Amino acid sequence: MSTEQLLPYQTEILQNLHDPLTSELLILARGLGLRKIISTLLKIYDSPQNLVLLVNTLPEEDGSFGEELGIMGCRKPGLRIVGYEMGRKERQNLYKQGGLISVTSRILVVDLLQSDIPVDLITGLVVLHAEKVTALSLEAFIVRLFREGNQSGFVKAFTDEPEHITSGMYPLKSILKELQLRKVHIYPRFHEEIKKSLERRRADVVELYQPLTEPMSEIHQAIVQCMSATLSELKRSNTSLELEDFNVENAYFKSFDSIVRRLLDPVWHKVGPKTKQLVSDLGTLRNLLTYLISYDCLAFHAYLETIMASNSTTASGAQKQHQSPWLFMDAANTIFQSAKRRCYLSTAPGKAKSGPTVIDLVDDEDVWDALNEAEGLPSAASTSKPPEPPKKPKRKKWIPEGMDPVLEELPKWNLLADVLQEIEEEMIRLEGTTSFATPGTNTVLVMCSSQRTCELLSEFVSSMDTSAERGSKGRKMMERRLRLYLWWKGKLSSNQKEGRGIFQLPARTNDTQQNDSNVNEGISDALKKKDAVTKDRLANRRRLRGGAPATAASGRSQIPSLTTAQEGSMSSKEREKLGIMVGEGEMRSEADNIADFLATQKAEGFIADDEVPILTPFGGGTQGLGIDVDEEIAMSLDTIDFDSEYDANFGLLQPQQTVIVRPYSDDSDDRLLAEIRPRFIVMYEPNQDFIRRIECYRSSNPGLAVRVYFMVYQFSCEEHKYLAGIRREKDAFERLIRERGSMLIPIMEKTERAGSSSENIIKTISTRIAGGGKQLNTDPSQVIVDMREFRSTLPSLLHAAKVLIVPATLTVGDYILTPDICVERKSIPDLLASFSSGRLYTQCELMSVHYKQPILLIEFEEHKSFSLQTVGELKNYAKPTGKYPPKKKPNEPAPETISVTSIQSKLVLLTLSFPRLRIIWSSSPYATADIFKDLKMQRPEPDPSRAIALGAEEDPDAGAGINAAAEELLQALPGITSKNVKYVMSKVGSVSELCELDKAAVQKILGIEPGTTCFEFLHRGEQST
Amino acid sequence: PVVQPGSGNAIVINPCQRLNPVLEHIRNVTKEFGDVVPDFQLGRTTCALFLSLKYHRLHPEYVHTRIQKLGNAFNLRILLLMCDISEHQDPIRELTKICLINNMTIVVCWSAEEAGTYLATYKAFEHKSPDLIKERQEKDYQSILRAALTSINKVNKTDVETLRTTFGVTTYFPQIHIIAIFLTNTHFKSFAGIAKASPEQLRSLPGFGQVKVRRIKDAFEKPFRNNA
Repeated sequence: MSTEQLLPYQTEILQNLHDPLTSELLILARGLGLRKIISTLLKIYDSPQNLVLLVNTLPEEDGSFGEELGIMGCRKPGLRIVGYEMGRKERQNLYKQGGLISVTSRILVVDLLQSDIPVDLITGLVVLHAEKVTALSLEAFIVRLFREGNQSGFVKAFTDEPEHITSGMYPLKSILKELQLRKVHIYPRFHEEIKKSLERRRADVVELYQPLTEPMSEIHQAIVQCMSATLSELKRSNTSLELEDFNVENAYFKSFDSIVRRLLDPVWHKVGPKTKQLVSDLGTLRNLLTYLISYDCLAFHAYLETIMASNSTTASGAQKQHQSPWLFMDAANTIFQSAKRRCYLSTAPGKAKSGPTVIDLVDDEDVWDALNEAEGLPSAASTSKPPEPPKKPKRKKWIPEGMDPVLEELPKWNLLADVLQEIEEEMIRLEGTTSFATPGTNTVLVMCSSQRTCELLSEFVSSMDTSAERGSKGRKMMERRLRLYLWWKGKLSSNQKEGRGIFQLPARTNDTQQNDSNVNEGISDALKKKDAVTKDRLANRRRLRGGAPATAASGRSQIPSLTTAQEGSMSSKEREKLGIMVGEGEMRSEADNIADFLATQKAEGFIADDEVPILTPFGGGTQGLGIDVDEEIAMSLDTIDFDSEYDANFGLLQPQQTVIVRPYSDDSDDRLLAEIRPRFIVMYEPNQDFIRRIECYRSSNPGLAVRVYFMVYQFSCEEHKYLAGIRREKDAFERLIRERGSMLIPIMEKTERAGSSSENIIKTISTRIAGGGKQLNTDPSQVIVDMREFRSTLPSLLHAAKVLIVPATLTVGDYILTPDICVERKSIPDLLASFSSGRLYTQCELMSVHYKQPILLIEFEEHKSFSLQTVGELKNYAKPTGKYPPKKKPNEPAPETISVTSIQSKLVLLTLSFPRLRIIWSSSPYATADIFKDLKMQRPEPDPSRAIALGAEEDPDAGAGINAAAEELLQALPGITSKNVKYVMSKVGSVSELCELDKAAVQKILGIEPGTTCFEFLHRGEQST
Repeated sequence: PVVQPGSGNAIVINPCQRLNPVLEHIRNVTKEFGDVVPDFQLGRTTCALFLSLKYHRLHPEYVHTRIQKLGNAFNLRILLLMCDISEHQDPIRELTKICLINNMTIVVCWSAEEAGTYLATYKAFEHKSPDLIKERQEKDYQSILRAALTSINKVNKTDVETLRTTFGVTTYFPQIHIIAIFLTNTHFKSFAGIAKASPEQLRSLPGFGQVKVRRIKDAFEKPFRNNA
């Protein structure tokens, strides 16, 4: 099959790589088919005589590699995947069989350490995502272990993200060093060979530059203004930092956040809450920029409103201390006003509905038409459209008085509609000339950036009114969304009212009031819900064109969407939390109006929407049961109707009618193109990788005429991001090529197994220097490490420090250094969590029982501050010095001010309870490794079998593989302590299983009282039968 | 003046610490000077030595003599270490070893205020029971739920909020994105409900990507043990 052929440059790369005697790193530009190259390489090595391990894959990649290999014809046994569910014996057998195996790094490390895998028989390692390899990562550890036992096997590393190779002075060199490689191949897009391969046949690309509408560009400018103001504020408050990279252009990218964090991390505990607020504001603003061009106007407006709401109050209902400064700017006002203007206009009730709305629309129309003409696009609307203002056919009854819906649509929607129209005409034109022999299908592929946009677009395409004029083609969809929005707004208002009520009354005495409101809401909710359900259902029915397989599922899942949120809004707890909203009077009064309107609507007995037929006579009077009933309806609609209509709507469609909307993803897009073989591709948002994929697709399909429509918003962050992304990749490649030119290639010395003879001598000598015992220690220096600890970097560092690592499943402690010394390692977040859960106390208890020297290791992170305190915490202690004298009540006893919740107090309490407990304060894992070595000097070695047995009496499965995540989750449940957790795990398979047990069974496992607590926790909120 | 050490409710301070800036930060407990071996006597069985790393760098032998003098007295012996230099790694490593041999517990602080707080807390908590840090069961539902769900890697508090509001245990929350209302489509009625939710249902929630959903499903559904 032609699509499976490799392009010339891919063949060249493979020729460079396939030799099993060499090890190397390949850096390839994204979108050039890295997966295909790796799969082909793997296929070459697929035989039972070889053992090739695929390392560092993402879980979703494993599957696609397997698929790709399957398509290439290596099926039996193909790529096998080792997860932790696989038992040790099973793994050993699997390794013995040979072939291609993908292994999780953590498991591979343990298997290498325990010699479960025959190291000398491994043909080679294939390491993916080489850009993520650092001295601390498990992959470096794996390569080190591999090289210790096997000098002849190959290590082939791959990456397609050159932008990420930036850390440190010589980023490329450090990766090569960690992977013990000496050769690197760099293939950027501008590589000679790639150019030659791809530029012979070019796709027919139509570039469409769509300007933003007037309000959109206003918002855009305002957001940028806010961003630069926030940035300069950030610079001003942190003068000591080197902030030259801080500019608005960089702030467009997500990576900017990590730059900021990296700069601020060492001083993060010193920066005030203001700086933290500013940093998070930048994130919010950046999101706003992307939402502006991807969300519809109502969702955008609603998002802004939630920002406003969450900014003025904290979760506890108190007024927030540090509000985002950008909210007070004029530009912010512009953002909010324009965003609202895009949705609807508020006019005084009763006034004529002429005015700004109309002008606005006309303006936009004209702008678009003018532009389309300038671009020479076929624009049906511009020729046929009369210049008169578009008037609304009739006012919908559910729209409140005083609200004029504008519902501006995203300009790209129209563009998309035009393009689809053009494609259709083109297809008809080509009808005669094509035959079955012509490659490609008439399926139109629309690519966009996110699943969300995908859903929006397919909804638009399916409900599109082709006869409507420009700018209102998606009117129906927008009106549907407006209804949802109004409903939401009404909800917001009623919540706020409740909130205020509660604040006046003493807490929890207002049950009656709430019941009242529940009754009221019950009716209207039920109605609204039903409306929404029927509407959604209709939407489904209408979906004739856009019913791509991917979107079908999502369409289905949207139906019962409203029910949960509604039910949610009824209960009382949150209302108390909600508190009084401040500083958004306008928004609130508006919401109130809408709520009032909804109420009046209900009072008039107005139920049905004029265009939506009533489905069933469910309705008023079912307030108590309302929710259940509605849910049932939703469920039944969901299942039955959908299935029965499936064939009618989603069955066989002519390829001409199919429009597939998909988000960009990784290399699996290549497969998508190869399978669909589209002739027409619409790139709704720019994406460099996909352009290259199309290039490859075009080049490997001779005779297939591909036309690509490439859409981008002119003068927007989208355009800028696209261009900057291209530049960044190019710069990264140039930097790497330069570094390769001047790089000092490290010569790898032959690494010895840790704790082997030469090391031993050094160790004994140093023992003597320390003035210790005279006898020669012949055992290798070893540390027993708990399996769960392989998530952290410490085992790797210990191994690098020539200590033999013995993996084991320990019940007590994390690291056993000597027969007497047992260490429990806690990172700072861990420490906080286990203090508050009480787990640390139990762990210390266990350690004290079984070991003479229990040690708590408090490990800080390397580049973060070495300090427990933050500025915020310091303020908890009342300072008598300074400007604000503490206002202490005279009769308050003095020790009350010693905070009992601070981590310091808890540490004090811990040491008081366990006087034998020692604490190691380590500023980084490196420091820990040093300290461990120090502590091990001239002490006897620990005994693994004893360490495993300690404290594990009640655990029959001791020593087996552990699902750490599940165990932690289980431990966090009430009724389960670290004492009985092992027992529970031996009785129940998984957390889900525990959830399904009935009360008696839970009680049988946990005992009567804890069992009850646990059961009630698990099932709280369910309606008891 | 002869003071009976450790008798009352006061921290007994060795007069050699008279000029230590830490003293003014010891608040909420009474202090007195007295003839004691350690720098601070914090209780009948508790004492503390104070050491600033800056001083230790100049006089590395000082701490040894002090520890020697201390002998085997006191049950809980604290070395209160003030970390006031940037090259702290080596001295801390060395002191860790010394303390392990001499049965002392290191407590590191970074400022005089923190040091003062530690000392005061030791005195104030002398007879306090460790209930505060023991495992407790009588917490409210919300915080247990939060603790349980955030124990899954990658799940943060916002996500718990989302799950919680979605599974209908509690209600509407203004911070939750409007999309949550538009898109949430499932009834996770309880914790057990989350366990039953399908990956697709979880994925439709705002802020829930593939990775997060997978972690949640792994934690809930994969067996605790493989049977090796």
